[in-house]
Amino acid sequence: MDQTTEEHVPVLIAGGGPVGLTLAALLSRQGIRSQVIEADEGYCTGSRAICISRRSQEILGWVGADAPLVAKGLGWTAGRSHFRQTEVLRFEMPSEPTQRFAPMVNIQQFYVEEYAHRAIDEAGADGTTVRWGERVQRVQARERDVLVDIESPRGHRRVRADWLLACDGGRSTVREQLGLQFEGTQYEGRYVIVDIRQKTQRPVERLAWFDPPSNPGSTILMHRQPDDVWRIDYQIRDDEDPAEAVKPENVLPRVRSHLEMIGETEPWEPLWISIYNAKCLTLPSYRHGRVFFAGDAAHLVPIFGVRGLNSGLDDAGNLAWKLARVVRGASPEALLDSYSVERVHATRENIAYGAKSTEFMAPPDFAFRLMREAALRLALDDETVRPLINPRQSSAIQYLGSPLNAGESGEWASAQAGPGAPAPEALLHDAHGHAFHLSSRFGRGFVALVFNGPPEGGLPRDVGAIPIHPAADPHGQAWRRYGLPVEAAPALVLVRPDGYVMGRWRGLDTAPLRAALQSSGVTA
Amino acid sequence: MTDADLDTSYTALCRALGEVGEQQAPLLLAMLSLSLLGRLDSAAQALSLIERARERCLQEPLHER
Repeated sequence: MDQTTEEHVPVLIAGGGPVGLTLAALLSRQGIRSQVIEADEGYCTGSRAICISRRSQEILGWVGADAPLVAKGLGWTAGRSHFRQTEVLRFEMPSEPTQRFAPMVNIQQFYVEEYAHRAIDEAGADGTTVRWGERVQRVQARERDVLVDIESPRGHRRVRADWLLACDGGRSTVREQLGLQFEGTQYEGRYVIVDIRQKTQRPVERLAWFDPPSNPGSTILMHRQPDDVWRIDYQIRDDEDPAEAVKPENVLPRVRSHLEMIGETEPWEPLWISIYNAKCLTLPSYRHGRVFFAGDAAHLVPIFGVRGLNSGLDDAGNLAWKLARVVRGASPEALLDSYSVERVHATRENIAYGAKSTEFMAPPDFAFRLMREAALRLALDDETVRPLINPRQSSAIQYLGSPLNAGESGEWASAQAGPGAPAPEALLHDAHGHAFHLSSRFGRGFVALVFNGPPEGGLPRDVGAIPIHPAADPHGQAWRRYGLPVEAAPALVLVRPDGYVMGRWRGLDTAPLRAALQSSGVTA
Repeated sequence: MTDADLDTSYTALCRALGEVGEQQAPLLLAMLSLSLLGRLDSAAQALSLIERARERCLQEPLHER
């Protein structure tokens, strides 16, 4: 093995799923070459993670993968839940006529992988490559680099990487090789996941049934996907054997019974069957020297609320710009510690929400079961309890307490855009009167939103300026959402490359902005 | 009470029920109901809530276990 030729790559990404491929695309847009290795010979099979949040659409937009995603995917804003046959909740996710993206898009995971992969190829002059059918065999993490032995049908090779990004999923070999363990809990309740092909006229919504006559005692979720595919999730009884539960002879009658109940009569065929139980697991840290963990390799969160892939894409969005700056020498290495701080915090939030959703969707004991029975019955005519049924869909997490959060100065009318908050969207006009969404300017470098006047004292070279004044903000979204007391108030807001607010200051003096970049460790 | 408050209270009640166990759960719920009834403004309010719960239990019974 010692004679093996050793190839050097600046960044090795273990795992070519949606997170690894997106990370490679993001890095290549930042000018950083990486090599992705993926154990499978191609994109995943089965629909897997199908709900792509607005925040994830923005992140995919940073590499131009949003256009095919939106063109192929099915956008949606609302959902309905039923107890037995009666509707007990109708919820709407935040949406507005001026929005850039729907709050959620349904699409099979293999399409997301394909679009992220294509985003690499299109940006690929820098030599980023994806190598299929290669798996990590052994990892030696050293002080200045990482040695990775890689196995494939073509033989064995060794890579010496400056940085290793582990995106190799819930059963991560990198995690195992480093001797790291998940912490947290697993829930017993199991859900069978079935894709079927069937034409339908129903609107795209999240549909849930508790205790439907088609499957008494069970809970059923349905989502439409592109290509005339339904995703159907249903809970199995605690005493059912999981291996038996996924056999077509046990799955298909339940599906048939439910389709009949809801009046979907077109012919149908099953495409994919899997099984799932809720897990709330995370590594305590996502950085181990020169090895980083992202996506399912770093954390497993419950399926309910669709925080799995969406949080993985947020990991990628958070890590890419930081690693790129460090590799380029623009930031000290310590900046990378903030990746773990921020994303572990996000996971803990996601787990808290996910656990709540799971306790309702797959009640862990008699008490949660009994209380759910009570809530569903009361919800028939008592709207005060209906919010308990709401699925708490994924939303971008605030980075409270992050070391990167700079101060804010002066009075602000709202806390929505404080340091550590996801930067709010706004539909603006540029100097030529062309409309653009503010979020479309995020994803590359730092930007300063300069409200009502030229910045005083100059902005750092690598901070782009977006001037905003009443004529550029015809809907009044920017000044309101960023918390200005009046539309003409001068102010500066510093937005990170991943679309998070870093600091905000009343007035136009850029000195505190420059100081914030220094004291937070972004610039040396 | 906000949605988040209701959520927190719901979870706390589930955990309390889990802690006292299935046999004592009706007792806990009865105690809690009684103390909530005592905080209402009038018997009319209490009677209508009791009536609604009674009706729902009869119309939508639990499945046999």
